[in-house]
Amino acid sequence: MSSQTVAIAGIGATRPTRRSPKSLRALVVEAIEAALADAGLEPSDIDGVVSDGLVMPTTVPRDWVAAQFGFQRRYDGGMSFGGAASATAPLHAQLAISHGLAHTLVYYFGVDWGTRASGPYGFHDLYAGKMTFEKPHGFTGQPQYFALWARRYMHEFGLTEADLGQIAVTQRQSALLHPDSQATRPMSLGDYFASRVVSDPLRVADCCLITDGACAIVMTSLERARDMAQPPIRVLGTGFGSEPISGDDVFTQAGGMMRIPGARIATERALQQAGVTLSDVDFAELYDCFTISCLLQIEDVGFCKRGEGAAFIRETGIGIDGRLPINTHGGLLSHSYLLGVEHVVEAVRQLRGNLGARQVANAEIGLVGGLSNPDYGVMILGRDHR
Amino acid sequence: MSTTVASEANPEFDGFFTHAAAGHVAFPHCRACGRFHWYPMPRCPHCRSIDLAWRRVSGPATVLSFTRVLHPFDPSRAGALPYVVGLVTFADAPGVRLVTNIVGAGLDALRIGDTVTPVFRAETDGHTAVDFKRA
Ligand SMILES: [Zn+2]
Repeated sequence: MSSQTVAIAGIGATRPTRRSPKSLRALVVEAIEAALADAGLEPSDIDGVVSDGLVMPTTVPRDWVAAQFGFQRRYDGGMSFGGAASATAPLHAQLAISHGLAHTLVYYFGVDWGTRASGPYGFHDLYAGKMTFEKPHGFTGQPQYFALWARRYMHEFGLTEADLGQIAVTQRQSALLHPDSQATRPMSLGDYFASRVVSDPLRVADCCLITDGACAIVMTSLERARDMAQPPIRVLGTGFGSEPISGDDVFTQAGGMMRIPGARIATERALQQAGVTLSDVDFAELYDCFTISCLLQIEDVGFCKRGEGAAFIRETGIGIDGRLPINTHGGLLSHSYLLGVEHVVEAVRQLRGNLGARQVANAEIGLVGGLSNPDYGVMILGRDHR
Repeated sequence: MSTTVASEANPEFDGFFTHAAAGHVAFPHCRACGRFHWYPMPRCPHCRSIDLAWRRVSGPATVLSFTRVLHPFDPSRAGALPYVVGLVTFADAPGVRLVTNIVGAGLDALRIGDTVTPVFRAETDGHTAVDFKRA
């Protein structure tokens, strides 16, 4: 591992809630305060600020964050958006640190889609093709997009609703082991089937939560991190992948509908940098905006072959005690929906250890996958053994 | 019913509605490489030619996937639930997938692979929307 190895030295998260009385700016500030305190740092220790490249610049811009904290930025960056951005945050740290631009960076992301009138659906109004050719047909929400994928996948591969239900039920069990999860009631497979159908074959229980909240992480060199307050979590590898298709087209026109080609590209890059294989990964936090998208990423990241996701889940087990625990905090389905930045926080917590009943046994290496169709980001984290 | 967005900023979108108003379904076709693309772009995304023209299809389409919508994602549709959104393909426009509503009789028996035919619907804003019904 080179001297430029990046580590995550601090994490901060607001308590996720459907509707927060605080503004998104206040939530972001709270998350960054928590991450600095976690790392044992002052704002004067930060010289780089990173966010996603689309949502934060229009809601909580980096210059505003710098002004609030007095961060003297020597590096400033944002790429992709949402989940792919959070999972590729260490790319910025690797770049900035290896070029001597900055030594300690903070990444933040949050949404107020529980409070904001347009909620998660307003985002897609950015796309002219969708507005012109889809909205007039009442095709306006992510559950509908993924419902088309789910029905087609069922047709091609024999997936059942119970297979999707098993993902929701398992993640709910994990969510109940986290003190801050938004979902607080157990869910049986019967409860899953009783859940209201919103866009068939998908039910409410197939869909992520809606959340107001924010998270932040502090990244620095492994050497510096070793002198900070927490045991460093090493960034073993990071990768980004995509395909040349726009947000207009990605849910309906992509040649391999039901596939996320960027996931494989990002994973291969991250594994190569880390010098590990997927069989070395002890747990994964995958972008489960819907049960079906979680299943597709199990396949597209490469844990199993296309069409075999449901069998993999049954045979391997994705609960805390399974052979590949997935979304150990309950994920976007049952913990919170901050577009996957909370997945990064959870992976760090698992690797720090001592999570009690939620702790994955012998967690040494974790993978975080972030989806922002068509973009995909992968971060592979590991414990530090000096 | 939500309103179709006027396409002043995207003149390459207009042909679809011009053809729909005349009772036809048409898609952008590249005269340089012979391929269709969708959604419309200023240049062919396959070969970047600007030699594009709208080409009509014969009409019938095949259901690639569909969903029955029971939640008012679009508040203006709250009184019209459930409705069916279909994604359909055309034998004579390879590579194009059209988002549409599948309307009319027999929706409970709708299956992937079914043949559907176009129905033209005048929107309140003057645009013509293209829905489909089971053949
Ligand atoms: Zn062409």
